[in-house]
Amino acid sequence: MTNRRDFLRVTGAVGAGLVLGLHLDAKSKAGTAQFRPNAFLALRPDGTVCISVPKTEMGQGVRTSLPLIVAEELDLDWSRIEVVTALPGPEFKAMQTGGSTSVSSTWTPLRKAGAAAREMLKAAAAAQWNIGVDQCRTENGFVLGPRGRKLSYGHLAEAAAKQPVPKDPMLKQPADYRLLGKRTPRFDGPAIVTGKAVFGLDVRRPGQRFAAVLRCPVPGGQPRAWDETKGLAVQGVKAVVKVPTGLAVVADSTWAAFKGREALATSTTWDEGVGKDFSTLALEAKMRAALMGPADEARRVGDAEKALAAATNVLEAEYAFPYQAHATVEPMNATVHIQGEGVETWTGSQSPNEVQERTAAAVGLKTEQSKVNVTLLGGGFGRRLGTDFSTEAALVAKAAGGGPIQVVWDREDDFCHDLHHPATLHRMRAGLDGSGAISAWAHRIAGPSILRSWMGGQKSPDQASAEAGGALDIPYAIPAITVDFAEVEAPTPLGWLRAVEIVPNVFARECFLDEVAHATGKDPLQLRLDLLGDQDIVKFGQDEADLRRLKKVLQVATGKAGWGRKLTAGRGLGLACHAYDCRTYVAQVAEVSVVKGRLRIHKVTCAVDCGIVVNPWGLEAQVEGGIAFGLSALFTQITWEQGRTVQTGFQDFPILRLPDMPAVEIHVVLSREAPSGMGEPPVPLAIPAVLNAIFAATGKRIRRVPLDGESLT
Amino acid sequence: MPTYQLTVNGRLRHVDAEPDTPLLWILRDTLGLTGTKFGCGQGVCGSCTIHLDGQAVKSCQTRLKDVAEHTIITVEGLSKDGSHPIQKAWLAEDVAQCGYCQPGMIMTAAALLKHKAHPTDGDIDGAFAGHICRCGTYPRIRKAVKRAAGGAK
Repeated sequence: MTNRRDFLRVTGAVGAGLVLGLHLDAKSKAGTAQFRPNAFLALRPDGTVCISVPKTEMGQGVRTSLPLIVAEELDLDWSRIEVVTALPGPEFKAMQTGGSTSVSSTWTPLRKAGAAAREMLKAAAAAQWNIGVDQCRTENGFVLGPRGRKLSYGHLAEAAAKQPVPKDPMLKQPADYRLLGKRTPRFDGPAIVTGKAVFGLDVRRPGQRFAAVLRCPVPGGQPRAWDETKGLAVQGVKAVVKVPTGLAVVADSTWAAFKGREALATSTTWDEGVGKDFSTLALEAKMRAALMGPADEARRVGDAEKALAAATNVLEAEYAFPYQAHATVEPMNATVHIQGEGVETWTGSQSPNEVQERTAAAVGLKTEQSKVNVTLLGGGFGRRLGTDFSTEAALVAKAAGGGPIQVVWDREDDFCHDLHHPATLHRMRAGLDGSGAISAWAHRIAGPSILRSWMGGQKSPDQASAEAGGALDIPYAIPAITVDFAEVEAPTPLGWLRAVEIVPNVFARECFLDEVAHATGKDPLQLRLDLLGDQDIVKFGQDEADLRRLKKVLQVATGKAGWGRKLTAGRGLGLACHAYDCRTYVAQVAEVSVVKGRLRIHKVTCAVDCGIVVNPWGLEAQVEGGIAFGLSALFTQITWEQGRTVQTGFQDFPILRLPDMPAVEIHVVLSREAPSGMGEPPVPLAIPAVLNAIFAATGKRIRRVPLDGESLT
Repeated sequence: MPTYQLTVNGRLRHVDAEPDTPLLWILRDTLGLTGTKFGCGQGVCGSCTIHLDGQAVKSCQTRLKDVAEHTIITVEGLSKDGSHPIQKAWLAEDVAQCGYCQPGMIMTAAALLKHKAHPTDGDIDGAFAGHICRCGTYPRIRKAVKRAAGGAK
């Protein structure tokens, strides 16, 4: 019988050392299911330790942070650790990686696994020395006993495997941490700097061929007529096969596949399908109408409409955020080999379990006949939660005789057939009473639903709240609040982009609050502190935010940035803050100058409280990178005309580059709370902090992203 | 198909391919040197940067026929064991995040230091303006270049 306490078990064969399987789904209720460990920890007799990581590495550092958690409790010698990415399957059922949850969801079980192994090693040493366990302690890969006795973990591994697994091992106190909280370089660094790191595109299998798919420039369109001899005439091209997403050109090199596709394109005509007339201009008109029409409620406090009607003054503004692309530097790709009764896939995926299942289904096999090797991801940012590219590769392999075939997207494929982040419009209204205090807040969001697109066109009962993150959890104490979502349909496939809807929603919220501050003659920091009030906790449904932590990061960020100091003409400071998913508390102050219409972002000061810090280097990388990611969206957009994306590459999607990167100053508010997450939380504040700083510098209020250079002149 | 003779990472290689094939694909698909990355194929992201006769160039914009008889160094050939000062500085500053664009960044950094032992911030801006890192490792790239420059004194 298994119950939820039985999360750990010795799973290794005799001679393998101490191999522990652990069950990571800490939230699962007591069940009778067979014990299915979904992470492994192996202490081998030779003293090396292998840790399998059940999440995918896309730069956020899980192949370093998760092993660190185990190594801390187990007192491992960090230099002897090997890290492998797990294989999805019945043992690893929850590998999906997103939402800044990898550390928070594994924190307790990984610590318990490490602590249990430590207890077993100590028990084995105590038995060997014939002393009490309490006379043993552990340090850097050894059990130490009285009078200088010392045995290595490798030596003890076999004996430790025969010890009972403790159900509730004692966990370390944070004051005793040796690894957590110290800067540890990322595990994959040496492989990356020597070019040995293997990303999806670097997979090379014996006999491998390469394919490029000629896709309709309008997503969802189909080829009507084509002349395959045009593609086959190109040197190196072996086959042209029809797949649901278009025409795949299979060749003996990537370049031949690209050339063959180019030749094939000249002969191909398209049925462009239902999306052929779509344009962002027409969408915007529909969204504007939806700002005034019916909507689904996401949050309601009091009666905001009544309070607005009764207000002495009402401020109103419209904010706009565009379609965005993920633009990972490694384009989408997957390598698939179908052989006999099995299919094997190599790809960088944030959804390995879904790849396993859908690849099998695509080629007519069962999930258990499908093996997925997760490579490093050359950027994820939510794009690789999608399985469109791996399923397509499976279908190409099937149509072309089994493979192995690597399907390579080029940059234009990647931009035009992304699972984009959709545009939104925001109608913001604030009611002010006679004293200038905010009596009502209304935030209407209009746009396509990401969740509906993700669920194959079905509307989820959670749709409004899913599209209103960052708006519905407005932390400010306002007597009447309404937040709602008015859906506007769009034919383009949508997906999750780092911090998702929180980016546009917090942009609108924090900029509009800045407008209210200036309109009522209040300092934007003081207004926020006033609105956070004396309350300690605010609840949003099941979640609750700790306003003391939010106030603290506000005070730290503004204090360090010199909020309120006198600046030269054309220079300004802007502020934004958010309690991300009620878990990670972030405040940012941007310092900008606008000289002759030219914007320079000099510095972003960021204060963060994410609970216990596993690896400060990882945290700082996420803040620096999150700010760069957030700021890029101030300049980039995807627009649609006649069903096609106007932007087709980096040349017309100006991602922030090194010369424009501001200085980033990071202040961590120390905490003993359990760690939360850091991948997404820094992203949404960069835009409102900078736009509020532009207002402070110039008096110009920017309500539309991307920033149009002319709006500053 | 014509045969071309190139020197890649100190080894003489003979390659049969169309003359207009980008060097990037010769390196990745013909010679198996996958450390040089494909990001855009249009010369705007810098992921495919290599050294051609000591200069940093974008291999996706370099045709095979133009590099015959020339000397090519890729990230795999920068050092035998990751001991190039730039590689060491990259690890010391823990620069990489996802790591995909980093070989190109490293090749640009190595070429920059070769030509200017102590680059200014402006030199660094100029050298990396042709690169994209979507993870935003820029502050650490700047630090790593300065660290390596300091070490070269």
